[in-house]
Amino acid sequence: MERFEHSKDREAVNAARARALEALLIEKGVITSETVDKIMAIFATEMGPFNGAKLVAKAWVDPDFKTLLAEDTMAAVEKMNFVTRGAGAEGEHIKAAINTPKVHNLIICTLCSCYPWPILGLPPYWYKDPSFRARAAREPRKVLSEFGLDIDPSKEIKTWDSSAQIRWFVVPERPAGTGGFSEEQLAALVTPESMMGVAVVKPPGT
Amino acid sequence: MKLQHYLGGLEGLDPISLETRVFVEAWEERIFGIHTAMMALSPQLDLEATPSTFNTVWTWADLRKGAEAMNPFDYFKFRYYERWLGGISGYFVAKGYISQAELDARTKAFLSSSPAMPEGGDAKVDARVRKYLLIGDDPKRERTASPRFAAGDSVKVADPKSVEHTRLPGHLRNKVGIVDSVYPDAYTYLCDTGPDGIGPAMTVYCVKFDPEDLWPGNTEANFTFYADLFESYLEPATAS
Repeated sequence: MERFEHSKDREAVNAARARALEALLIEKGVITSETVDKIMAIFATEMGPFNGAKLVAKAWVDPDFKTLLAEDTMAAVEKMNFVTRGAGAEGEHIKAAINTPKVHNLIICTLCSCYPWPILGLPPYWYKDPSFRARAAREPRKVLSEFGLDIDPSKEIKTWDSSAQIRWFVVPERPAGTGGFSEEQLAALVTPESMMGVAVVKPPGT
Repeated sequence: MKLQHYLGGLEGLDPISLETRVFVEAWEERIFGIHTAMMALSPQLDLEATPSTFNTVWTWADLRKGAEAMNPFDYFKFRYYERWLGGISGYFVAKGYISQAELDARTKAFLSSSPAMPEGGDAKVDARVRKYLLIGDDPKRERTASPRFAAGDSVKVADPKSVEHTRLPGHLRNKVGIVDSVYPDAYTYLCDTGPDGIGPAMTVYCVKFDPEDLWPGNTEANFTFYADLFESYLEPATAS
């Protein structure tokens, strides 16, 4: 039974070991005392889901942009004013999967946790959960219903397993009641979950 | 086989985690940052040299090899970033950057008190890390051979021997699918996976599978499964 037990001070030891490792790496000249904070700042301000939300909002208001996003995702991303121009680490090759009234897309990685960093930032915990990775492959409807999302049986689900060098994201459908919204207002409605297909974008105020 | 490579479709698992945070413990972002810095400072990248003492290769493949080499019962016992913490600490010890005794002693010190973190380092190190994050490490290469398959072709997924690491999801081995699209150019992988077959640049395909072929009588209706697969994982499907 020992193999399945965790030590009682598991989290305290993890935290202390991570600090110890970072301290030693700074002392040995591997990284600087600012390296980790600077990386996290990039993910807070330059590479994150706020970029993906802008792409989705633009696709909702500009049909030509939506077509380009579907057919040549990188060309569409390059048109945006992102600091990475779209091609930052883990986003060298991104493909958009467009939701329609007939198709709902879901992104998974059954081997690890491939994720398009420049436009979505870092993957949320659920995406890395082995149960999600395993179950979404075979029973996506059941999995989505656990997220509170019931997909009509008449709608096709397309699941994309990112096991090579392409990173996928979903362009969700535009919600009702957003007729007069600006791109900025629309982008504020888009969540990372909706851009990986475990949620839809809810109408404002719901 | 390693269970880590055969996750797709596994039965009898728990309900899904609905945790939307990226890091559930504060220390997790520290190990994430260390890993990212290692990838950025890895010497095979065509970026300007820095005074960092990091001089050995570290890529996603190294992280994945470490996680996949674990006993599966341990792999699933630990959270995602706990596996990173173990693998990355082990790498720094194995490569001689730090000793296990140093790490243990320092861990003990941080467990019993809160010593100040060391200060300093050369700004050129952080400049290179930033540059890596913003420009990436493009795996795309010019194609030297014509694609073996075209959209619409039936292909059978190969069943090569995997050693340390694979990019072939286990649930697709020996299954037949249809090429949905052929990606332009060719893509290299981060390391040579030996008999498993990837490493040098090759064509990559998006292949469409009927889930009923993958899990007969044990899957949902009205859904389609797509996977991106390197060419060496595919064979022509012969009529049976």
